[in-house]
Amino acid sequence: MSINTNTSVPIYQQIADHVRGRVAAGIHRPGEMLPSIRALAIELVVNPNTVQRAYDELDWEGLVELRRGVGFVVTEQGVRVARNQLEQAARGSFSQGIVLARSANISEESIRGIFDRAMSDSGVREGGGT
Amino acid sequence: MVSEAPDTVIELKNVAKVFGSTTAVRDLSFCVPKGTAFGLIGPNGAGKTTTLKMMMGILPCTNGRMNILGLDVSSHPQTIKQRLGYVPEQNFIHRWMRVGEAINFCRSFYPTWNEPLCGEMLKRFDLGGGKKVRHLSKGMLAKLSLVLALAHDPEVLILDEPMGGLDPIAREEFLEGVMANLADQHRTVVFSSHLLGDVQRMVQTVGIIDRGELLTLSSMDNLLKETKRIRGVLRDGCQPKQPPAHTIWQRVQGREWLVTVGNFTSDLPLQLKSTNPVQDVEVIDLTLEDIFKDYIKGRRVQR
Repeated sequence: MSINTNTSVPIYQQIADHVRGRVAAGIHRPGEMLPSIRALAIELVVNPNTVQRAYDELDWEGLVELRRGVGFVVTEQGVRVARNQLEQAARGSFSQGIVLARSANISEESIRGIFDRAMSDSGVREGGGT
Repeated sequence: MVSEAPDTVIELKNVAKVFGSTTAVRDLSFCVPKGTAFGLIGPNGAGKTTTLKMMMGILPCTNGRMNILGLDVSSHPQTIKQRLGYVPEQNFIHRWMRVGEAINFCRSFYPTWNEPLCGEMLKRFDLGGGKKVRHLSKGMLAKLSLVLALAHDPEVLILDEPMGGLDPIAREEFLEGVMANLADQHRTVVFSSHLLGDVQRMVQTVGIIDRGELLTLSSMDNLLKETKRIRGVLRDGCQPKQPPAHTIWQRVQGREWLVTVGNFTSDLPLQLKSTNPVQDVEVIDLTLEDIFKDYIKGRRVQR
């Protein structure tokens, strides 16, 4: 992952999204530890306080929990929490696209057409989630 | 302004600096809490270096008060130098020395010298003691400068455009060296740079200064969240009637009205639509660089 400073999305948000994606994808499984704050700060070249802020947010939404002497560990419901968050983010992006299309007076039917084309352009994924 | 809290490490109150007939710093007030990183950004000649030099006690303030670690800087110059680390724009390492000699030279000034930390950083940066300082590349020199600023375990680290002229790899390695020495410690950082992406990575709070004055002071997150540009499409032949409060910069070109505001809320577009002859408004997200430029350009137009 690399941090994007060419956006208005705060860095802690980018880090939190990155971790959500990794938990949803099964890279970090429930019961496993996230990288330490220091390690991730050095890897991403960001202030450790910023990583702390991202982890605190993930803790607050129940994706990870802080275990004393261990670190931040992915919770049992972590995968579900991550998927929910990502689904919300996806819905937000779609809404933005729809607002944009409507402001250009594009019909609902054409918007659906745009959606279907975008869907097939981004490749077919078999199976979906569990 | 923020009142003095118990965890305030740096406090400036109405600080000014005048050189002859030139006012370098007009009236600067801000606080930096312990363990946080503060970024100072501004165009050339804004007064950044002067401010940082006053923090280090290298330059006296003409006016105002500067407290660091609870001490008045002007009356405790030695203690301040012992407890702060400083990477200046122009490093002060003697060119004729070898790296090891430069280390020994600096070590002799500091009772709190942390030998393991020094060794670890030299290793991280692949700086051999036998190399001559004048043979070091710009990147290596900057890294040595950072080692010398950190090896006495300072409570406050002051970085003044430390990566000017460095290539992207050297910059990243330099920054990694800084980040590695922030974690698990409660070191406070003041960072000034034109490399706004690097500032964004490093700091939680940012101040934009121009001509010796603070234009805004905000957490990085709030600055990005609350500074937005709005594009209004003006009705034929109309001009904006009422620019919003906290307008930072605006421009009208034909039917297009661009206005950057510093306190964006989601109801602002509708409000703008109801008070101005615009048929459509759109909200544009800004990067730190956009925000910086709009603040500076906005000031240039006013005068």
